[in-house]
Amino acid sequence: MITKGSCHSEFKRISRDSKFIIALVGNPNVGKSTIFNSLTGLDAVTANYPGKTVALNMGTAEYKGLKFGIVDLPGTYSLGSVSDDQLVARRELLEGNAEIIVSILDATNLERNLYMVLQLLDLGYPVVVALNLSDLAAKQNICIDHQELSKILGVPVIPVVGTTGEGIEPLIKTCIAIHSGKIKLKPRIPSYGKDIEAYIELLSSHIQKCIEKIPYGLSSRALATLLLEEDEEFLGRIASEKNCGQVLKSLEDISTDIEKTHGERASLRFVRERHGYEGAIVDRVQTMGVCKIVLADKLWRLTIEPVTGIPILLFGLMAVFVTMYYVGGFLSNVFEFSWTAFVSPYLDALFNGLLGHNALSRTLLWGFDAGIKAALSVGIPFVMTFYIILALLEDTGYLNSIAFLTDSLMHKIGLHGRAVIPIIAGAGCNVPAIIGTRVLTTKREKIIACTLIILTPCSARTAVIMGAVAFFVGWQYALAIYAINFVLGILIGRAMALILPGESSGLVMEMFPFRAPKLTHIMKKTWYRVKEFVLIALPIIAVGSLVMGALYETNYMWLLTSPISLVVENWLGLPAVAGICLLFGILRKELALELLLALAIVKYGPDIHNLLSFMTKQQLFVFALVTTLYFPCVAALTVLVKELGWKVSIAIVIFTIVLAVAVGSFANLFFNTVKIF
Amino acid sequence: MLSRSKEDYLEIIFNLESRGKGVTTSEIASQLNISSASVSEHLRKLAKEELIIHVPYKGIALTAKGKKVALDVVRRHRLTERLLTDKVGVKWEEVHSEAHKLEHDISKVVGDKLYKMLGEPKTCPHGNPVPDASGKINEEPSSPLISFEKNDRVKIVKIIDEEPKLLCYLATLGLMPRTQIKVEQKAPFNGPIMVKVGNAVYALGRKIAESIWVKKL
Repeated sequence: MITKGSCHSEFKRISRDSKFIIALVGNPNVGKSTIFNSLTGLDAVTANYPGKTVALNMGTAEYKGLKFGIVDLPGTYSLGSVSDDQLVARRELLEGNAEIIVSILDATNLERNLYMVLQLLDLGYPVVVALNLSDLAAKQNICIDHQELSKILGVPVIPVVGTTGEGIEPLIKTCIAIHSGKIKLKPRIPSYGKDIEAYIELLSSHIQKCIEKIPYGLSSRALATLLLEEDEEFLGRIASEKNCGQVLKSLEDISTDIEKTHGERASLRFVRERHGYEGAIVDRVQTMGVCKIVLADKLWRLTIEPVTGIPILLFGLMAVFVTMYYVGGFLSNVFEFSWTAFVSPYLDALFNGLLGHNALSRTLLWGFDAGIKAALSVGIPFVMTFYIILALLEDTGYLNSIAFLTDSLMHKIGLHGRAVIPIIAGAGCNVPAIIGTRVLTTKREKIIACTLIILTPCSARTAVIMGAVAFFVGWQYALAIYAINFVLGILIGRAMALILPGESSGLVMEMFPFRAPKLTHIMKKTWYRVKEFVLIALPIIAVGSLVMGALYETNYMWLLTSPISLVVENWLGLPAVAGICLLFGILRKELALELLLALAIVKYGPDIHNLLSFMTKQQLFVFALVTTLYFPCVAALTVLVKELGWKVSIAIVIFTIVLAVAVGSFANLFFNTVKIF
Repeated sequence: MLSRSKEDYLEIIFNLESRGKGVTTSEIASQLNISSASVSEHLRKLAKEELIIHVPYKGIALTAKGKKVALDVVRRHRLTERLLTDKVGVKWEEVHSEAHKLEHDISKVVGDKLYKMLGEPKTCPHGNPVPDASGKINEEPSSPLISFEKNDRVKIVKIIDEEPKLLCYLATLGLMPRTQIKVEQKAPFNGPIMVKVGNAVYALGRKIAESIWVKKL
């Protein structure tokens, strides 16, 4: 679907529409996306980078009639190539699609943040520095002389406050002035210790002599620093050059020399030099007063202290579940009710009026009435509720505390701490939960998390379990279905952790005290995430409903059920008619139960309100169990494909069907032998 | 001279000991890729020669005599690694197994000459110390970061056993030898450890925290 290539097509669209492109780079959690949001309008899009699970945010902005594009690169601490995030950020920069690079720094942690700026300057990129969170820095009594910093680096330094929009206008003006040539950037290339500089010069003179075309049009000095850093990509590229011998020989000599004099690897020495340089800069521009311990910091300490943090976490997870379940469910009911009351009658009148009461009009009603209603009543209430929760957790920084506390438990099922939230949210609705797996970094983790989410009974499946089992069979059997689900989830997670290649990634995560979230920012973020979901899911669900409706109205559905009737009747011990209900459950899980009731009425007359006169307790139990396990609904499948691609999604779908049939058949067999009912 | 396989055993036991984990039969078996039964067989022989002490189900430790031999092998191994990377041009990732084949046939005379020729290196290419001619390791004592408690202030001594890429990545965050850090918090159930480096606070996964070796200040 929208995975491959879309990133570049989006890029083309944006560069066609705008005069120039600005790339935002910076460490994670420096408020990059906040600045992105205040720069762009509401037309921002998120697209996956080709072949990677990393998503890029792109959008356009306008200032006094001048249109320009903005690309928000993944947050990284350096331009290495350890993780996918880093790789994508670095590729985008090297390929030079952006004319201006805005490097966003966290003013409360200048020293660490300067590292990447120095890396960029070493590569010869002119950057504009945005000193974000300067309000927070002032609160912590940190004072940064930004004019001095600008002099040292030779590039503009602009203090900004992303959350309030302060300083954004000067930032845009500066970028435009650079674009129009009014400001000429004269970046000062960092100068390191004498011996290191001598080595860089020596190496770059060899490069000038021997290498005809330096990759990405970098300078010989830039390439020399990359080689000294032992950058794998560039080492590989140079090794394939014709005259690389002399360069590599010289590099080897230099590395041995550095190791002898400093007692550590050349690359490590180089990193140390940069840290030294950055420390010297900080000494010149930053003065620190006494830091007051603020309330946010105290609260944050409570959430990471195991004794207090675990109860807070349990309470928090409960709150997420309850909000998803009740608030999401309530909104969903309101939405469905209003649709049924105010939209359905008109659609009904429209199609029946135009086409008359026939199979065609009923099919169209399936697609445009039931289908769109389904998409919107999942999309708007659940997806929106979840996104508000997720945005709150992200923006306050509590997500990091959760990850810290739960990391070791989640490792056992091949995940890490950040996966807790999407999985809990899955109990409300799988759809936003699957999209929420974007907080995970590797494909392996995403696959495991998505599979577990799909096995988590969402509110629609809870409706089936409650409506069919708790109501007619007994609450303890409803609980049994949840227990079976839970145990299967743990077993499957553990098995996948063992089978899937790769290891759960080693955790290195920056922790920071809580920050106050900004309502407008959260709403904006939520808005375009919901919009994105509705735009993708709506057409697919509508078309899916049309197809199912057509099959049903033309009676072809019965033909479809005959091949599966062997499984349904013989293995699962269910009436053949239940097979149709299961098929419809693909559209929306609770449809399976609703349809079962409807068919019961068709078959046995209108006074059949008790399902038990139509199916046995055992059959109801098996029916609910299978409904819970098999196939994600169409909406979930849509986002699954978007996140993981077709192949993996189909594999997961087949797996869940096999699992559902196997567990269902086993339950049937079990009850046939042990006659509980 | 001892046989190759005896040298290999002593070397492995030495390396496991200095990593601070307990030395077990199954650990040795998995490193040598052979069955635990044949490892036990070998260990009995080594114990007989008083090179090791082996208490079944408890653990294995080198005797003073065994340690002397082990240090000698380790010195030859690490010098060979140096030779192969610095002079022969063998890749960093491959050098360990290559050195393993050659180390046994280096005599004391050749070893000392090698040491001189290589410029008396302090460490092997992976950063582990090379014992001197008398078999002494001049290294600051250190233990894994994970064994420290909340509010401990420590200094990083070395980072072991990791890919060069990860090593560099940690270094860019300021996690490199000689840096001072403070343990801020430890997560429950053997979870991550939170440390403060300069102004930044990081949560480090257990695996990473096991490979960062530090000294208490």
